[in-house]
Amino acid sequence: MGATPAVSVSRLSKYFPLITLRRILTGKGQPGVWALREVDFDLYPGEVLFILGPNGSGKTTLVKLIAGLLAPTTGRILVHGLDTVRFPLQVKERLGYITCNEYSFYGRLTGWHNLAFFAKLQNLDPQTAIPPVVEDLKLTEYLDRRFFTYSTGIKRRLDIARGLLHQPDILLLDEPTTNLDPLSAAKLRQLLVDIQAQGKTMIIVTHRLEEVHKLGGRVAIVQDGRLQEVTPQAGENLEELYTRMVGEKMHVVS
Amino acid sequence: MWFRKVTAFVIRDFLWDVSYPLNFMWRGGSIFFSLVTFYFLGRLVGGTTAGHLAAYGGGGYFPFVLVGLALAGFQSVALTSISMAMQYGMYTGTLEAMLVTPTSLSTIVFSSVLYRFVSALLSIVMYLVFGVLLFGFPLAQADFLAAAVVLALALLAHLPLGIFSASFLLIFKRGDPITSLIGHLSALLAGVYFPLSVLPGWLQTVSFFLPFTHALEGLRQAVLNGRTVLDLSTEIMVLSIFAAILLPLSLTVFSYAIHQAKRLGTLSQF
Repeated sequence: MGATPAVSVSRLSKYFPLITLRRILTGKGQPGVWALREVDFDLYPGEVLFILGPNGSGKTTLVKLIAGLLAPTTGRILVHGLDTVRFPLQVKERLGYITCNEYSFYGRLTGWHNLAFFAKLQNLDPQTAIPPVVEDLKLTEYLDRRFFTYSTGIKRRLDIARGLLHQPDILLLDEPTTNLDPLSAAKLRQLLVDIQAQGKTMIIVTHRLEEVHKLGGRVAIVQDGRLQEVTPQAGENLEELYTRMVGEKMHVVS
Repeated sequence: MWFRKVTAFVIRDFLWDVSYPLNFMWRGGSIFFSLVTFYFLGRLVGGTTAGHLAAYGGGGYFPFVLVGLALAGFQSVALTSISMAMQYGMYTGTLEAMLVTPTSLSTIVFSSVLYRFVSALLSIVMYLVFGVLLFGFPLAQADFLAAAVVLALALLAHLPLGIFSASFLLIFKRGDPITSLIGHLSALLAGVYFPLSVLPGWLQTVSFFLPFTHALEGLRQAVLNGRTVLDLSTEIMVLSIFAAILLPLSLTVFSYAIHQAKRLGTLSQF
């Protein structure tokens, strides 16, 4: 492809040094952890990349590095050609990070007040930025209620609304259907299909193959900090491939 | 843009605060009961303190301690508010949600404490209003300009300590020794509950190195004796020196702590 990648990751590694009193005083003790090693991939506008892998394999670290919440130890990440370390604010205008953490909202505030707060941090006028997004996500009727009164499914939709307020063209989603009941998860997957249809580039960390089947896209598996893009061989489905590579079964909900 | 973001934080914190209406209203009650306690304590020790308190508007213990209590609350906010805001953000994940917006960490941190400072200032006003209306606190000769200058400098001299504390928290998460040490030393040695003249000479020397000592002295002189900005030049100069040295130093340390937190991955851990 000749176009500039929406996200370009090259030779990205992340090492977490472990700071302990013993290590500071004696220089001995556990050295730390390599969460990611030499990760490379290019993701083009409109593509979806699913990142699979067991717990602790480095999936969330990768997403947080792209979101600028962590600094790479080596390597670099370009978002539409902009280095995430050198141009963090410009990069953040292009990215929507959906944390899928319901505690990252203010429970005592209404949905509207939560979104208005984050809209202002995005340099947006809440009155114009919020209505189209919440209408698309069918959240309008919930906005006057306090956040803590919402069901988990509504909370997750509000999380997605927050990530879409500034109309980013790249979305990062960290386990979007975790903790949702099957019906809510199915609704959310449909929502992701609708967002995909708008041409958004998406990186989705997931433990569930349903997302992959429903949306379609490229698939990569992270194991021990190394990322490998995979394609099932003839006669092999993705679940079997995952089991063969990782050595354990994926979580599947029928 | 920047102002819009700052107001967003103040509105958020106000809405959060009033969402607990009882707690919001009880703040006044808490100040009232504290004042009642010290009013009667003042009556108990009244005659015996006159010598030590002669320099503070005529020697009464109650006016002396009221100013001490009011400023102690303000100092506590300056010392703890930044680290508390950081802790909450890190613990819940709201900090991450804010950090993925085009808003710098400095804006997030400093805007997150503005409401607390406004609230602390209102508490000072409540101390004074209750004092005047219910307990005959003498406010007639107060120099409000001098009091405002001392308060502003007290904030600038103490805020860096809060920034050091937040920097420590960013990397080590807990066990912040700064707030606790300065808080205890100030309560003991700066003269919140008793004048410095009752302390042994060497402890008075130690107290000189606490910014709170000079803030308290300046505010008491402005409120109780009507001293002007010019009269308080010593206190104002000492507080300015504390601020001038500590503010840039604390901001450098904070910037280093943010860099380290991103490297260590501690920004989103608790």
